[in-house]
Amino acid sequence: MFIDLHTHSVSSDDSRATVEQYVKWVGVLRRKRYRIDGFVLTEHRKFDFDKDYSALAAANDVLIMKGSELDTNMGHFLVYGVTEALTSALDFSNVSMDALDLVKAADETGAIALPAHPGRFGIGLCEFADSGADLRSIAAAEGLNGSNRPGEQERAEDLIRRLGVPATGGSDAHLVSAIGKCMTSFENQVLTETDLVRELRSGAFAPVTLDDTI
Amino acid sequence: MNAGKIYFEDVDLGDEVGPVERIVTDEQVIEFTQVWGREEGPTRFTSPEKARSEGLPEAIVPGAMNIAIMSQLITAWSPTVRLRKLDVVFRSPVLHNRPLTLRGMITDKGVVDGDPQIECDVTMENEEGTPNVIGKAVVSLPVRE
Repeated sequence: MFIDLHTHSVSSDDSRATVEQYVKWVGVLRRKRYRIDGFVLTEHRKFDFDKDYSALAAANDVLIMKGSELDTNMGHFLVYGVTEALTSALDFSNVSMDALDLVKAADETGAIALPAHPGRFGIGLCEFADSGADLRSIAAAEGLNGSNRPGEQERAEDLIRRLGVPATGGSDAHLVSAIGKCMTSFENQVLTETDLVRELRSGAFAPVTLDDTI
Repeated sequence: MNAGKIYFEDVDLGDEVGPVERIVTDEQVIEFTQVWGREEGPTRFTSPEKARSEGLPEAIVPGAMNIAIMSQLITAWSPTVRLRKLDVVFRSPVLHNRPLTLRGMITDKGVVDGDPQIECDVTMENEEGTPNVIGKAVVSLPVRE
């Protein structure tokens, strides 16, 4: 299965794409023979408990899941499998949240938190990896990011190699036409956020580009 | 850039607008700020020293000017287009005298209150391919008689 694990809708302040438009664009990609099964909305510093895309997803045969992208003291982290237990334990709007506390709290509540675009200058884990922090609790990291700038991909790959963790892929789409640019290929079926967390913990996945799906 | 008269029926989702290459010179920025009339003396837009004192690498192109340049991507596409709305996000500073690439991609199409419209993702990238400005344009196109 091919799932874009990193997208932003207009629920994030810096995106101009609606979820409905993303779904429509998935149809455009499929007509061009690209394969994309779904995407995860990872809105900045929040989790949209109130938004239900199940009817839209079913009507268009597109898997739509929800997650978050949080600001931490060690860069941005993607969180999947968010529950009320996790949002009660942590203030998602806290831009200086402790990254390792987030990873631990996610583990304890059935979620998973992993570094987003770790090679990014300024807000990627690379910037903080040599601080002496014990990063062994990190189970995976975003290896392919569709918004990477020159040099950031190499930095991400180097860090992921050092951490010895599996890599995901996501477009980091903020515009409609960017969705699916990078995705994660899962060996096993993912139909729910619980499945997603289980598979991310299993390591049975790899990052891919859109062109890899043809 | 001008592709002649383009009609609603001519375009489809996934069609591209551009790309268009631009370089914004020091002189163009100075001229823009003079017309703009909101800045006096050296500013981050006209003075590299002032820009550096504010933590910027060099003098930058004003956001309003970037919006104007982005709008030209659409308005120069065809004499038939009417730009209804342009909503942009500034991702990183746009520097003077550097090659910029402007691109659009049609992402939606429909008739809104009787008006045939398309929606278009628009981006301005620097020479490294880093998006400086991204956004969405809503454009009216006529139907063929």
